[in-house]
Amino acid sequence: MTVDTTTDAVARDRLGALTARARDELVRFLPLLIIAVLLVALSLRNPDLLTVDSLLTMADSAAPLLVLAAGATVVILCGGIDLSIGALASFASVLLALWTPALSGWAAVPVIAVTAVAGVLQGWVHVAARVPSFIVTLGGLSLWTGLALALSGAKTVPITDLSAFAWAFTRVRGLPSAILVALALVAVISAVMRLTPFGRWVCSIGHAESAARLAGLPVDRVKIAAFGISGAAAGLAGLLLVARTFSGAPTLGDSLLLPAVAAVVVGGTAITGGHGGLGKTVMGAFVVVLLRVGLSLIGVDAGVEPILYGALIVIAVSVTIDRSKVAVMK
Amino acid sequence: MTAAPALSVEGLTKRYPGVTALDGMSLEVRPREVVGLVGENGAGKSTLLKTLVGLVRPDAGTIRVRGEPVALRGVAHAASVGIGMVFQEQSLVPNITVAENILLGAEQTCVRTGIYRWRELRALAQAQLDKIGCTVSPSARTDTLTFAQRQMVEVAKVLTIEERTSHEPVILLDEPTSVLESDEIATLFTQIERLRQRASVVFVSHRLDEVLQVSDRVYVLRNGRVVAEANPRTVGAADLHHLLIGREVDGSHYHDDAQKPCDGAPVRVRVEGLTTGGCRGVDLEIRAGEVLGVAGVQGSGREEVCRALFGATRALRGRVTLDGRPLRLGSPRAAVRAGIGYVPAERRTDGIVPPMSVAENLSLSHVDRVCRGPLLQPRRERRLVDRWVQRLGIKTPSPSTPIGTLSGGNQQKVVLARWMLCDDLKLLILDHPTRGLDVGAKSDVYALIRELAAAGCAVLLLSDTLEEMIALSHRVVVMKDGEVVTTIDTPPGAKPDPVVILEEMV
Repeated sequence: MTVDTTTDAVARDRLGALTARARDELVRFLPLLIIAVLLVALSLRNPDLLTVDSLLTMADSAAPLLVLAAGATVVILCGGIDLSIGALASFASVLLALWTPALSGWAAVPVIAVTAVAGVLQGWVHVAARVPSFIVTLGGLSLWTGLALALSGAKTVPITDLSAFAWAFTRVRGLPSAILVALALVAVISAVMRLTPFGRWVCSIGHAESAARLAGLPVDRVKIAAFGISGAAAGLAGLLLVARTFSGAPTLGDSLLLPAVAAVVVGGTAITGGHGGLGKTVMGAFVVVLLRVGLSLIGVDAGVEPILYGALIVIAVSVTIDRSKVAVMK
Repeated sequence: MTAAPALSVEGLTKRYPGVTALDGMSLEVRPREVVGLVGENGAGKSTLLKTLVGLVRPDAGTIRVRGEPVALRGVAHAASVGIGMVFQEQSLVPNITVAENILLGAEQTCVRTGIYRWRELRALAQAQLDKIGCTVSPSARTDTLTFAQRQMVEVAKVLTIEERTSHEPVILLDEPTSVLESDEIATLFTQIERLRQRASVVFVSHRLDEVLQVSDRVYVLRNGRVVAEANPRTVGAADLHHLLIGREVDGSHYHDDAQKPCDGAPVRVRVEGLTTGGCRGVDLEIRAGEVLGVAGVQGSGREEVCRALFGATRALRGRVTLDGRPLRLGSPRAAVRAGIGYVPAERRTDGIVPPMSVAENLSLSHVDRVCRGPLLQPRRERRLVDRWVQRLGIKTPSPSTPIGTLSGGNQQKVVLARWMLCDDLKLLILDHPTRGLDVGAKSDVYALIRELAAAGCAVLLLSDTLEEMIALSHRVVVMKDGEVVTTIDTPPGAKPDPVVILEEMV
């Protein structure tokens, strides 16, 4: 009996370790696997899909999504969440449309500065008032939407100066400039995360905030900076949307919140913080875009997309979440 | 031939990464017997109790209830075979009535088609309260009761397991007296006498005299094993204390000859009137190269002093000077910048970032040492970390190994190295630096503390065991109820007996 329980326990432990490792590997390669399956399935259905041209078009339409997801990744790596990014992008589009007549293309600079400050403000409230980031940015979502509605008079604001943002909606040597802008942003954030201490500070905070604080890290400032980056990225996403539609609108970017968060978690970044990175988010964004295109290819109505994003987020989080960090699920 | 013991364990073993909490523990509890369990922090008391109610699964060993081996799956299962526990941190839900709490999870006849039958519920709860003569009303809201009353309710709640089994239960009491006043303790002891008429009791406490007073037999635990079984009628508290701390280690374990006197050295740290939520008017002085121990029981406020000095807890009042310059108490970051280091007691949650590498953990606090301008210098970091890994004998496959996979001793060496990176470390605060480490790793940590002190760093030390504290310190400050009560010199070569300090603590 004694011997039995012992070997049982050992076997159980081994099995536990094995399944844990299998799960880690699965999480790492799942996005790649999904991409491969999707590409094969979609190209069987429609052989034209895998042409360079259609892939580039897909990439082009993915640019605002990728920009939003890249910014949100930094916040999620800290263990927080930014729900305001879609609303901030809309807000940015309205500001841009309103300021372009006076500033032309230079309007982009103050607009991105404003959204960065908006992000910093949310981060500061989160840290100083000790309110969960979920709540602060949920409030922010409503606040920025309201401001955008008020400033635009709840209407779409067209841009007549067509050349102002032409650079963000053109082709550079055959490549859509929007996706180049998005990839450049990903590269810059990745570089900061890898080459400076900022990245390991972010991950330390996400993994073990208490240990990070007691090691003397500037925890509050890092978190505020993460929200600032997320805000600035939302501003840039707003700009890409304006360049595409030649107008600003108070709900232009709203529908991008869910796919952006889905891109981050499908890529394999843990919603509990610490694990993950920008590379994963690029993969995740690719998955989301392929799914979107795939659905329309097989004739599913675009209105069904939210169902997809909702399911995707729940499934991806259930696979990647670090349950050891959450004592009680609320 | 006596009857089978009500509860027995044989060769119980539980290992955590880096820590062996239970190391082949064997003991038995006989019917209607009060068994005392004593041991220092880390001796395995809590893990044993958690194993006995199925909250922790042992890696090896058998638990027998009335001679029958059982594999406990959780608190409910443990209750069904007759084992119940009164938890140290109390497990009652505050915002419901006493009656609901007592029958929580065991409502049975009090619920019909999903609806509470309040009269039945109150009557059943009253019956449980009557068993121990508790006068609390079953319809009182739980959060209106005093701590002692809630504890009585817990005891009554645990006794509901009598209804679920035809045998006499075994009741586990985990540190039940730690927050009680003396008259409340007397009431509790009367209860234990009552319980003895219908159950076996396992009583765990830090306070040796209480254990001797209430128990029929006492087991002394150390390092996850039973090291002695004592008869309270023939041993005193002092004997028990000697059994508790053990004598298997000699001077070389603590590197006694590496302790340098520091009498003439300048004062590095001066604390005046430090007051927080948990301590009042604390004055301390630490000289360069001095190790100052702070002794005290739970609730003495010594942890508060450490955390406030490091800026991790807010100080309400108090002045701290470091090398004569005033230190602004505010945040850990400010403390680190001023040359203070802190090794927290909870290594896995407060000390390390487990999934990150040894190198990243080592350079976490003084990352400027591996940067040029704003940029990390991976090669420089690699060289620096390699040097420290070698110097401290840190056993790791590589500097990029996640630190969480190392043993506790090696993790702690990385945490110490983190602070040794600082060129001008003025004060190192060690909050139970050897908690959960094996003997060899402890000795290595002692050597590092000696080395740091010899280099002129001031060290503030909190320790699980008095013996360790006395051996490492030059002086020991004793705290009680948030205040400093006395200071005892513990110079090299003239170490006092731990009992001297123990008497001041309680």
